[in-house]
Amino acid sequence: MDAILKTEDLKMTYRVGKVDVNALRGVNLSVAPGEFVSIMGPSGCGKSTLLHILGALLKPSAGRVIIDGEELAAMSDASRTDLRRRKIGFVFQRFNLFPTLTAEGNLKLAEHIHGNGRSAVDENTRREILQLLRLENKMRHKPLELSGGEQQRVAIARAIINRPAIILADEPTGNLDTENSTIVLDMLRKLNRELNQTVVMITHNPEAAAIASRTIEMRDGMIVKER
Amino acid sequence: MDSLVLSNIRQRPTRTLISVAGVALGVILVILNTGLVRGMLNDRIRREQGVGAEIQFMRTGSKTLSPSSAMPLDVRYGDRLKQIPGVRMVSPIGHYVQSGNSGLGIEVVDGVEFDTYSTVSNLRIVEGRPFQSDDEVIIDDFKAKHGKLGVGSEIQVFGKKMKVAGIYSPQIGSRIKMSLGAMQRALDAENKCFSILVKVDDRDKQEEVVRRIEAELPGNQVVLTRDIGLSFGREIPGIQGFVRAVMGLSIVVSALVILLAMYTTITERTREIGILKSLGASKAYIVGVIEKEAIAISLIGVAAGLAVALIAAFGIERVTTLQLEFHLRGVLTAALIGLGAGAIGALYPAVRAANQDAVKALSYE
Repeated sequence: MDAILKTEDLKMTYRVGKVDVNALRGVNLSVAPGEFVSIMGPSGCGKSTLLHILGALLKPSAGRVIIDGEELAAMSDASRTDLRRRKIGFVFQRFNLFPTLTAEGNLKLAEHIHGNGRSAVDENTRREILQLLRLENKMRHKPLELSGGEQQRVAIARAIINRPAIILADEPTGNLDTENSTIVLDMLRKLNRELNQTVVMITHNPEAAAIASRTIEMRDGMIVKER
Repeated sequence: MDSLVLSNIRQRPTRTLISVAGVALGVILVILNTGLVRGMLNDRIRREQGVGAEIQFMRTGSKTLSPSSAMPLDVRYGDRLKQIPGVRMVSPIGHYVQSGNSGLGIEVVDGVEFDTYSTVSNLRIVEGRPFQSDDEVIIDDFKAKHGKLGVGSEIQVFGKKMKVAGIYSPQIGSRIKMSLGAMQRALDAENKCFSILVKVDDRDKQEEVVRRIEAELPGNQVVLTRDIGLSFGREIPGIQGFVRAVMGLSIVVSALVILLAMYTTITERTREIGILKSLGASKAYIVGVIEKEAIAISLIGVAAGLAVALIAAFGIERVTTLQLEFHLRGVLTAALIGLGAGAIGALYPAVRAANQDAVKALSYE
């Protein structure tokens, strides 16, 4: 099966003052559709940079990135934004919900952006996602009226409401207690199994990483281990 | 997107209030200034056109609608004018310009020869009697009513108290009239006046009389009373420039307030802009969100500005003798200025937000 996400000799160099910092030093990665991959590694190993490149938020310094058949390296900023809109869903450690909008408002905003001003999500899909994430009764609440776990579930719902090709999760349990972490990880696993959603998750937590079908370990900008 | 715009407006009430006040201020400035200029000029035009004389004779360069206290014309021109065929009667007028009693605007006092002036203009005393001494004036019924003045009241002219001897009607010329002789003495301008009103025998032949006066007394200015106001904007030097300057100032004030408010807002919301970018929002979409918010705030500002301007106009007309006139065009101009300034003011912050780096914006604390 063709990879939905592929990198070849991916390199990323930042300029910090007068010093070049090599954040990625030739990463080769392939993710199959419907796969759940977790990426682990110590702080500064380049995993966040990798996730930002995979999410088309950053342009790599060298190498190839192919997302669902589209080559990222040659794309303009506007094209990368468009790719993100069509194919990527993000889940962040700090939830990143709009505090002034209700949970429903947050979802609708994502639909609005994805649909270029119109919502293209049918009611069945919406209901299915809300049921799966147990959010049916939380839609009228604003983020500050929800627990951390509920906020993260809303963020997951927002990420998948438009059925993106890939979900990129950046430490999704980093701000949650154990109970809520378990709930959120269960949700991600459910999404992966029941909706065949491709998920790439960064985590520091080995227990969290263990729910993935494959775990990749990074160090010093390179993949050092896969299991 | 609309719910994001509305929720942001509601979420930051102080910011919204300040922005609304900024836009409203611009709208109030435009509406009150254009309304005052138009109202006062039209009021003055109506009263000047009502003096009953078909022709006004004055020195070249003198302006009917913007009289000065200068009295450059010799009253003896009146004798020469009376000899011109077609001229039935003349009446010399002096002007004295002082600041309004309420402290707002200016007030013009006419110096007239009561007998000739009342004959030319059909002015009649409705209460009291004509002025008889140098420290007496007559006022029109409008000023009496708005200034709560009556026969025996005192008003300030030439910096001293003068007694109201009578109230006249209709409202013609300036609202305060005194003896021309007294004005000449006060201004040390013996035998001088500002202009001479000329009443003709036959209204249908007034142009012919004008030509005769111009031929007989060249180098002076002969104006048909009916044409006063045709040169509305040109009559008072700089008035159009003043109105434009006020409009320009309003745009700048409103735009700056919106610019600062939106600039602060996008700095506060850097992270939210990062989230929008992570969701795949294009630059145009982000500019659209911020512009919509600015325009929505401007709309509220325009509505508030209109309401305050109307209330202020009502108050000004009640407390002073100033007249305001609102026209749909003026109101629409003010509204467009408010909205336009809001849109322009938000443009820089909007573009700046749209160009932010997504990763840096997402990590903004």
